[in-house]
Amino acid sequence: MEFLAKIFAMAIAAIFVQNFVLMRFLGLCPYIGVSKKLDSALGMGMAVIFVMTMASTFTWLIQTYLLVPLKIEFLQTIAFILTIASLVQLVEMIIQKTAPALYKALGVFLPLITTNCAVLGVAILNINEEYTFIFAILNGLFAGLGFTLVLILMAGIRERLERAELPRTMRGMPIAMIVAGCMALAFLGFSGLKF
Amino acid sequence: MKYYLRLGFVLLVITVVASGILAYINSLTEPIIKENQRKAKEEARMEVLPEAVSFDSISYLNEEVIYAGKNNEGKLAGYTFVASLYGYSSDVKTMVGVTPDFKVNKIKIIEQTETPGLGANCTKPEFQSLFEGRNETVMLVDKDGGEIVSITGATITTRTIANSIRTGLKFLKEIEVQSEPEEIHREEVTE
Amino acid sequence: MSVIKEFTKGIVKENPVFVMALGLCPVLAVSSSVENAIGMGAAATFVLVFSNIFISLIKGFIPRKIRIPSYIVVIASFVTIVDMVMEAYVPALHKNLGLFIPLIVVNCIILGRAEAFAGKNNLIRSIFDGFGMGLGFTLALIVIASIREILGAGQFLGYNVLPATFKPMLVAILAPGAFLVMGLLMGLMNLKKK
Repeated sequence: MEFLAKIFAMAIAAIFVQNFVLMRFLGLCPYIGVSKKLDSALGMGMAVIFVMTMASTFTWLIQTYLLVPLKIEFLQTIAFILTIASLVQLVEMIIQKTAPALYKALGVFLPLITTNCAVLGVAILNINEEYTFIFAILNGLFAGLGFTLVLILMAGIRERLERAELPRTMRGMPIAMIVAGCMALAFLGFSGLKF
Repeated sequence: MKYYLRLGFVLLVITVVASGILAYINSLTEPIIKENQRKAKEEARMEVLPEAVSFDSISYLNEEVIYAGKNNEGKLAGYTFVASLYGYSSDVKTMVGVTPDFKVNKIKIIEQTETPGLGANCTKPEFQSLFEGRNETVMLVDKDGGEIVSITGATITTRTIANSIRTGLKFLKEIEVQSEPEEIHREEVTE
Repeated sequence: MSVIKEFTKGIVKENPVFVMALGLCPVLAVSSSVENAIGMGAAATFVLVFSNIFISLIKGFIPRKIRIPSYIVVIASFVTIVDMVMEAYVPALHKNLGLFIPLIVVNCIILGRAEAFAGKNNLIRSIFDGFGMGLGFTLALIVIASIREILGAGQFLGYNVLPATFKPMLVAILAPGAFLVMGLLMGLMNLKKK
């Protein structure tokens, strides 16, 4: 029971309280870049959830069973970024061969994810916070969910904004930033939430 | 095939060279980093218990050493410990200096990333001086019936600090009152 | 003359933050105080200049196919160096910037310049390009951080600059303020362009 409660608390923290995009400022490029259409936001979100969970798993294993025993923790950044890059490649190849339908939906987003700082961010955070293996994986999953949630919300808002009459100078990026700011204000309401 | 081997080889060379350079720089910076951390803690200890000239470790709390400080006459000047609890959005760690009669001498917040402008105001000297001279029975925020006036808009941070210090004081009192007759043994314990 | 142009283009005409909207994560995350902004800018500029130097030197030896992974290794090495040196000599700043130092690796500005410029140009031009872009990034950070710190804390570089009667607009240094200030500044840039 206590285990479940811990998982629940972690989910709330990663999705709402410390939302990766709005509170930690991670993964802003896709958040602004891929939030113009609802379907592409959904596709990107799914791809990010998948890669973040995988990346959390593998980077945790590499840190614990390779970098720490060999005392080469200073290679963490290089090791993690290479792991993530090859992981993304691998996932892309596997999906392409085994699940063409899924590839069609996610394919274009996968290469973009390597340089998504949220993925490397969650990997390093897992180590800094000294999570156990299970919690590292779950943290990756929940962080991805939090990212997807705000990405989809944003896409919904921006689809409507297309039809709004805005001053010319504020169209596009500037208004997207303002909207993000309003969302962050709303998410600020979650902070301090504890279980 | 040969082409792919060459690709792998070039990448390997780059990585090996990079790792070598990093290992060298790491060997230069690591001792400095360790020394910095040690010095920062030592300075915090001196600051919260200025009368003490030497420190002996007596126990552990929050994975940090509890020290008993002695003044230049060799008499007990007080204790230091690190109080730590999760505040509003981060772990708040406080170095606490304690007088021999278990009152707070001085505190210093050594680690926090609370909300800037609200909880982060706990690092201000005006706030930290509120704790001076208080013992564990009044080490509560005003809302909980104690004597610590909360920072405006940051009751949770204030409460966290007060509670972590109260727990530490209780723990210290417990071990010290018990081990009083074993005063001689204590000095043998080193870090 | 052309070298100077490589230098100045990054500051205004092709400013990586305001014009190309690259590397937004660190810009928004560390701009809550001017001090952090300068530290982040300096770290990123160091990595930009040195990875540009290195990549333009070794570009002849790297087969096209493994271009990107090689660049990533080079960049990650310089990031790690910055990380270690900062932890040793400016521990307080290192702690404030925290996660965003290793994340310089995935900053699109750096890989972008390596791929688009240093991989195709000679050493001297690459150095100036790196410096210009780094300076542009730093200046953008300082502009945003100044606005946020002055409005949100009434301070500049930690010194009080506004009268005590000014009640700080706390929201400016909290997360939402970063987005709002950035959005308004981008709008302002658009206004100027037209």
